[in-house]
Amino acid sequence: MRNCHESNYDKKFAVVNPAKICQPMGAIQALLGLKKAMPLIHGSQGCSTYMRFQLTRHFREPIEVASTSMNEKTVIYGGEFNLMKALKNITEKQSPDIIAVASSCLTETIGDDMTGIIRKFEEANTGQKLPEIISISTPSYAGTHIEGYDNTIKALVEHLAIPGHPNEKLNIITGHLTPAEVKEVKNILRELNSEFIILTDTSENLDAPLSESALNLYEGGTSLEEIQDTCNSKGTIALSKHVDSAGKFLEKKFEVPCISGPLPIGVENTDQFIKSVCELTGNEIPDVIENDRGRLIDAMVDAHSYTYHRKVAIFGDPDFVSGMSRFTAEMGMIPTVLCTGAKSERFREDIKLISKEKEFKPVILAGGDLYDMHKEIKAIKTDLLIGNSYGASMAQEENIPLFRVGFPIFDRLGAQRISVLGYRGGLSFVDNITNTILDFYYDEAGYEIEEEPITEYIQEVSQPNENVYEEEI
Amino acid sequence: MEPVIETFESRKKHMCVKGDGLSIPVCDKASLPGTVTQRTCVFGGARIVLMPITDSIHLVHGPVGCASCTWDIRGSKSSRDDLYKKGCSTDLREKDIVFGGEKKLFETVVELKNLYNPGAIFVYATCVSGVIGDDIKAVCKKAEESTGCRVIPVQSEGFQDHNKTKGHWIGCDALLDNVIGTKEPEETTPYDINIVGEFNVAGDLWGIKPLLEEIGVNIVATMTGDSYVEEIAQSHRVKLNIVQCQKSSNYLAKKMEKKYGIPSLKVNFFGLEQTVASLRDIADFFGDEEMIDRTEKIIERGLAEVQDDIKEYKKRLDGKTVALYVGGNKAWSLVRAFEELGMDVMMSGTKNGIREDYERIKEVVRDGTIIVDDANSTELARLLKKYRPNLLISGAKEKYISLKLGVPFCDFNHDRISAFAGFKGFISFAKEVDASVSSPVFDLTQKTLRED
Repeated sequence: MRNCHESNYDKKFAVVNPAKICQPMGAIQALLGLKKAMPLIHGSQGCSTYMRFQLTRHFREPIEVASTSMNEKTVIYGGEFNLMKALKNITEKQSPDIIAVASSCLTETIGDDMTGIIRKFEEANTGQKLPEIISISTPSYAGTHIEGYDNTIKALVEHLAIPGHPNEKLNIITGHLTPAEVKEVKNILRELNSEFIILTDTSENLDAPLSESALNLYEGGTSLEEIQDTCNSKGTIALSKHVDSAGKFLEKKFEVPCISGPLPIGVENTDQFIKSVCELTGNEIPDVIENDRGRLIDAMVDAHSYTYHRKVAIFGDPDFVSGMSRFTAEMGMIPTVLCTGAKSERFREDIKLISKEKEFKPVILAGGDLYDMHKEIKAIKTDLLIGNSYGASMAQEENIPLFRVGFPIFDRLGAQRISVLGYRGGLSFVDNITNTILDFYYDEAGYEIEEEPITEYIQEVSQPNENVYEEEI
Repeated sequence: MEPVIETFESRKKHMCVKGDGLSIPVCDKASLPGTVTQRTCVFGGARIVLMPITDSIHLVHGPVGCASCTWDIRGSKSSRDDLYKKGCSTDLREKDIVFGGEKKLFETVVELKNLYNPGAIFVYATCVSGVIGDDIKAVCKKAEESTGCRVIPVQSEGFQDHNKTKGHWIGCDALLDNVIGTKEPEETTPYDINIVGEFNVAGDLWGIKPLLEEIGVNIVATMTGDSYVEEIAQSHRVKLNIVQCQKSSNYLAKKMEKKYGIPSLKVNFFGLEQTVASLRDIADFFGDEEMIDRTEKIIERGLAEVQDDIKEYKKRLDGKTVALYVGGNKAWSLVRAFEELGMDVMMSGTKNGIREDYERIKEVVRDGTIIVDDANSTELARLLKKYRPNLLISGAKEKYISLKLGVPFCDFNHDRISAFAGFKGFISFAKEVDASVSSPVFDLTQKTLRED
């Protein structure tokens, strides 16, 4: 059996085919769920341009991210002039409600005081109607897109929350969900008779109808007033455990209780979400929810003989991977390699807990890349891969199907409409993954094409858990 | 004179109409802070030029974002290796910013050499590695000595300039300083050429290569589409450089002329007329009667093959208008190709144009054509709304601006799916243009249910 040092021997420093992106990318994804807001990256043009490129390929929507267009001269003298000018131009020409300025590695390294520059801009324009201007520190070298997202939601709430009358609402921090998944969250909350503030709501903005209005500032999304109101809510649920900083802030400062995760994927995690909502609101679970749950379990029962003991490798954001590993384990599948780009202790703990409970022994890659993952998949011989489009070449090489979910998905249509969330998203996942298995491993008459020798692996995993390795730093 | 569209005062002169006096827009200026510029950074420019070298590792020395947003996006095809498609980064962390990233870079290079044994490892500087002052050149030299693999520094700090053209030059310099001329060819022929500025996007090279081989030239290196670094190393003994993307690579050809005395020819294989002219120019350059005869036969056959196939497309495309908003070269090199389909280029613009680029645009477009420089996304939307072309040619970021307005669109950038170069490429070109312009879905886009 391989041990940790051996597996990691060939590569300690290099990242090959990253499974993570930078903080500003997470910030932008959070900001695109705001109403009448303009995201601005304080840095070189490449930061905003390449992020727009990736986002637009994934969502197939126009993506607007302004840049302060730093260049050599401005780097030497600091970015004050460019940032002031950018704030002025955006205010005058677009008059948004919010301008959210995310820093880049460059402006963090040269030490631009964005908060100070913003204050200076506001002082220079006293008496004029200015948008709320929020600065978010997002140096790529100090985290991943996950931290960028989390920092952004926290910065919005910290800057904007205004105490007032209790509002009977729940704050929901979505994390990196698709527009369809955000829509599903809203549907569930409506069915549970709960009012809500979504932080932030990308469901309309990133899945817009064909119309010129998609080119203006977003009319959909979370409004300034809603964010201001978050400290008056009944509670906050962060759907992902990694995006709960704003919730914790509201809990500490305004005594708004906060529940972190788990991401409602699969039966048990969704159950927990529903219970969390009911706990905070005191509402009952209606029949419609119970029926959806029943339908999902019905589908899982229908699928069980096809999914049982299929080995599945999963990569993506930490809460997605842990949620999906629980869900696939609920379906009788065996999660083999679980990879996330973030070096997250919470992720490791989650997986250890799930794998103990569900009796599987995966290789955990926290802070891993797709190279590491590929090496493990080769060793374990997995049947299915779940992750974003960057898994395609790995899947092709190993001759296994790739089930596309996550970010980015640029080689298929409809990334905004993929939902694996809640009972209904789970239902479509069960259908689709089972049909993928049928397409790939069964002939036209319905017979399994190749009997996978699984006994060997099952014996192997019942051994002590030596092949869980954790990255050395 | 009425402004082309409503915009910032300082941006007005960046747009003009040919024949209206000011036929060349103000250009090569820093973008206006706070706008959604379509431009990228110097790092991007360098990466674009070098990334198609297929047997090499392209290592981005910086925090992970620079690599994770730009790996495998070039759209360059390979007939051999696929090492170039890997996304490699030193993934600089906070402590590296404080203590410097040189050691990490060295170790990373050694690891990548051991893992892949590549033809070369290109090390790209990013904003951060530039600001913290890592001596990439010294690390590359040391790593090269220690590994025996070519390790090539690319000084491409993103913030260096507002214009990614500088990045193209930096990429070319990396080749000139470290690759070209480092290996003597075993044999040479009197007909040796390099193809410069051909990145094999969607397989364009494969539409050109057979034609050139048939006329009798010997291609030593392509810079850089579908190439190996060892081929580029031997490229200094050729008799001629032909330059396809003149925007990114004239610089390289000129420098090779100065250093090695290699003359260059500007060629263009987009469109029939330009393909014919380019083939003739190459044959004329060598002045070999047999080659000239052969070339004429190839041209005759090539034209005959195409004519029937494009008739149907031409019928539908005749009289339709096109707007170009592209990286540079295509802003002029595609104009004739569209005219050959019966279409009318009513706007041409570039994101990173310098004066020379706009002079070439002005030469090829008709009077009344709008010429724009560095249009940001709001301006682009306004231009499309006001002038409503039947087609926009641009890249991924512009695609959905166009489609949301119901203006048909073709991606001629990284995401292009068919090869357009040469005779056969012209058929694919016509087919793809037709698939956008003539699609019935656009009949549905201008009406709402209530208006019907």
